[in-house]
Amino acid sequence: MALKFLVVDDSVTMRRIVINSLKNLGYEDYVEAADGKDALAKLQTDTGINFIITDWNMPNLSGLDLVKTVRNEATIGKMPILMVTTRGVKEDIIEALQAKVNNYIVKPFTPQVLKEKIDSILANLQ
Amino acid sequence: MDTQPKNLHNVFEKINDLKSLFRFGERMIPIITSLVDFMREMVPLLETINHSISESASKMPQATNQIADVTQATEMATTQILDRVDEISNSCNTIEKYLNRKEDSAQKRRDLLQNLLIRYENEPEIVEAVTVLKELENGSEEREQIIKLLGKISDDTYQITMALQVQDITAQQLAAVNHLIDSVRVKLSSLIIDISEAQLDDQIKAAKMEMPEGVHFDPNASYTDTAGKQDAVDSIFAASAGQEKTSQDEIDKLFR
Repeated sequence: MALKFLVVDDSVTMRRIVINSLKNLGYEDYVEAADGKDALAKLQTDTGINFIITDWNMPNLSGLDLVKTVRNEATIGKMPILMVTTRGVKEDIIEALQAKVNNYIVKPFTPQVLKEKIDSILANLQ
Repeated sequence: MDTQPKNLHNVFEKINDLKSLFRFGERMIPIITSLVDFMREMVPLLETINHSISESASKMPQATNQIADVTQATEMATTQILDRVDEISNSCNTIEKYLNRKEDSAQKRRDLLQNLLIRYENEPEIVEAVTVLKELENGSEEREQIIKLLGKISDDTYQITMALQVQDITAQQLAAVNHLIDSVRVKLSSLIIDISEAQLDDQIKAAKMEMPEGVHFDPNASYTDTAGKQDAVDSIFAASAGQEKTSQDEIDKLFR
């Protein structure tokens, strides 16, 4: 399956880092969004997106709220979502799990971890 | 007749009461005088404190602006570094492609020379010359070394990219500091009013920084080695695989 990623983060630096990492893994197709609200707009206009990588702490609409909104949508509710965030406390992880993220990465992350999580999500989808 | 001594008795009692009052007054006057003197000394001190707090509070917006400027500057610098890193990676890719094209050309020349060797195998001078030429075309070892170095440069630039995650983390830490400064400024502003109303104690007790809802930074963001944190996260996900909901007990066990 050809993957098209939606990379969501209010930090320009982090979006570039995630995108560079995806390119390093051979994934060239991606779209960027600066916050959850922007991400929802992109999801409505670009139906080719089939994988979301999102930060948590963002203005306008947080990553967690983005996850909850996506999961409530019939057409995109099953889309794989990987959360990449600085939040590493147990309560946050539980909250993300309950919102039904597919996996969770704590910043700063290594390229190996990103690859493992993406591969793991894709394997679980099959 | 009986009422006269009784009235006198009352009068004497009243006089005694008055005497007691005056004696009490005599004792209290120095204390009250000291208190008034103390208050007289405290007022200028409180005014100085008031002025100092007011001055500090007025400088805080400047501090928060400067911190915001730092974040902006580091983001710009990080973007420039990422631009250069991308250029280095592109240059390495270009060099590798060039080397591969050169190798293709060299291989074609080696093949041609091999054909010449076969065709002129009975001409020793030609064979000798062609053999030398063929060896000159054989630079594969150097090529391999260059490609290996290019790979190392590519890996190193990628490591630089990943290390720049520090910018996002420090930006969140600075945002948390800014929020704290702003909270202190608000509390100090209220203190300025309350000092003049002599309600310091209540205000100090009530001073409590609370994180409002809807903040878009993580005050606990840190750049320390997160291998342990990621392992803990992975444990929770592994434990909850296939389940609709992870119980608190299961999660607590993982974190013991």
